[in-house]
Amino acid sequence: MSVDIQLAPVIHFEPGVSTSKPSRSGNLAASALRAGSLVAFVAILLVFSLTAPYFLSVGNIGNVLGQSAISGVLAIGLTIVLIAGGSNVVTGGIDLSLAANMGLSAAVYATAAQLGYGDATAVAAALLTGLLIGAVNAIAVVVAGIVPLLATLAVMNIVAGLELVLTQNTVIPASTPLLTALSSSGPLGIPALAYVLLVFTLIAAAIVQYTSAGLQLYAVGEFPDAARAAGLPVRRLVAGAFIASGLCGGFAGILSVSNLSGSTTGSGEMLLPVVVTALLGSVFSRRLVPTVIGTLLSTLFVGFLVNGFQLLNISSVLVSGVQGLLILLVVSATTLLRRQEA
Amino acid sequence: MTLQTSAIEPSVPRALIGVVVDNALVLALVTVFAIFSFATPTFLTIANLQSILVNNFTLLAIAAIAMTFAVSVGGIDLSVGTAIDFASFAFVSLVLAGQPVAVAALAGLGAGAAVGAFNAVLISGIGISPFLATLGTLFIGRSIQQLLTNGGNPVYLPPSGVPEAFRFLGRGAIGGIPVPLIIAAIIIVGATVVLTRARFGRVALAIGIQPSVVRYSGIAARAHVAVAFILAGLIAAVAGLILSATVTVYIPSSGSAFLLNAIGATFIGTTLSRLGRPNIPGTVLGVLLLGIVANGLLLTGLNFYWQQVGTGLLIFAVLALSFITRRKA
Repeated sequence: MSVDIQLAPVIHFEPGVSTSKPSRSGNLAASALRAGSLVAFVAILLVFSLTAPYFLSVGNIGNVLGQSAISGVLAIGLTIVLIAGGSNVVTGGIDLSLAANMGLSAAVYATAAQLGYGDATAVAAALLTGLLIGAVNAIAVVVAGIVPLLATLAVMNIVAGLELVLTQNTVIPASTPLLTALSSSGPLGIPALAYVLLVFTLIAAAIVQYTSAGLQLYAVGEFPDAARAAGLPVRRLVAGAFIASGLCGGFAGILSVSNLSGSTTGSGEMLLPVVVTALLGSVFSRRLVPTVIGTLLSTLFVGFLVNGFQLLNISSVLVSGVQGLLILLVVSATTLLRRQEA
Repeated sequence: MTLQTSAIEPSVPRALIGVVVDNALVLALVTVFAIFSFATPTFLTIANLQSILVNNFTLLAIAAIAMTFAVSVGGIDLSVGTAIDFASFAFVSLVLAGQPVAVAALAGLGAGAAVGAFNAVLISGIGISPFLATLGTLFIGRSIQQLLTNGGNPVYLPPSGVPEAFRFLGRGAIGGIPVPLIIAAIIIVGATVVLTRARFGRVALAIGIQPSVVRYSGIAARAHVAVAFILAGLIAAVAGLILSATVTVYIPSSGSAFLLNAIGATFIGTTLSRLGRPNIPGTVLGVLLLGIVANGLLLTGLNFYWQQVGTGLLIFAVLALSFITRRKA
């Protein structure tokens, strides 16, 4: 009855991401890398600001923040799942349904607005959609025991299908007072979405990094057995992470409606960039673990990169290549440093 | 303790659950097959079953087998689509340039293997985790394709300029059996032999289960991992050749369409098999399950968009049921 069957013992080969050996030398390597990536971040900002004079203006920085809002919220949602699920992406923390979740939530919001419901109802409907998707993921992973990669993959298909059913693969235009406010400019002429991203990050960071629940999430992700032995409600915490991530998807959905003045198709395209952003985020943390602020930094990093390319008229087809190179460089540096110190 | 009691008193339901768990995938397949046979009059016809094999099975089966090699060494290959695309690009471009089809096909296979080799360097050489390494390859590959095609323009073969051998690879038949299906069958048999009968396969699976034990046994684990990823690229390249020969066009980044289904089929095959290990028959059954569900839902005349929901729900149900029964067993 209680014989623990290792379902897929196959997938424990992760030579790159073993964050579980904090030695002194490892910390040295980690801080070297962390300093290195921050230096690289600043260096890229410098190059852009020297070559493109407009780059460092308040208006442009605000624009980048605003344009990063949607992917930032999604990446932070994924970060919470990464924290609770541990570093092994296949068996541990991954939520492939996030981008589709955003698409469906956006469609729900736009449809509700078009049917004449007020902002409050539409927002509630979108957030509830995200919450429900998160809850389904949570049940699939925690109760049914499906590997997160597979569970969220199946949920992604269902959600993407529901979005198509709801929108019939068309754009649903929407215009509400909330959308107008979100797409307007706030103080300093910076887009309101930029402020939304900053406030959202602060709240998420406060909860994840500074409450005991957040600490427990890390414990569950890094040492599930120890966490269980210590009496932590492991299943409830993992479920909570998926539900939180679902809520982020719903919230990002609302933001995306404001950004595009309607719900549009093709949200699935966001999935892999968001995964890359969230995974890159751990480079900006002291112990090379996923953190909310680290994910914000990596979101902005990618945002500034895209923006700088545009200002310099460098072809945007290079962006995904640079993202790919970045993740490989960063991860190889981590791995090589670790190996050298070991 | 629980194990002993169950060994002494094997109650009937327990034994039944055991049988269900051991054959979960076959049972799921038979159930889905039966449901569609009753639900639609056209499902159980030779023409339709053939169409499932040609349209819903061949390419995904090859891509999923490539994925299975990566998964067998405990990894994952998010760049199978990239290998498919690179092979397709090299193949179509060289045929367009007037090269013999054989030369172009070899170049295509080489391009796919090169993607695999790039992954191998990252994973075995540097030691990056397969998920991150192949994710990086996927992104870089996307940019390279955009650069090669001036921002993503398809490369068409003019209808007059399609050589006979090229057409044969995509649409030909030997003894009434479509060529792509024959190639898929050869790959299925070959991959099964390699993974179960050859030394390489046993070592690869051992690496997937216990990498440290393999290393301590003095076996060159890294070399085996590298070979597995190069094989994955090479096999995916075959899918790329067939794909471009069928549609006589190369469309940048079109291979990504296979990625999530290949992952789904491979892991369905892995988790629903008796030992929970990656295996080719499981992967093939997983591809069949996805293909039958897609085809069956199409025949029910369901709204096209609801079909995607239905596919997702069915896969979800299969996964949930199998994981829950497995827990009970």
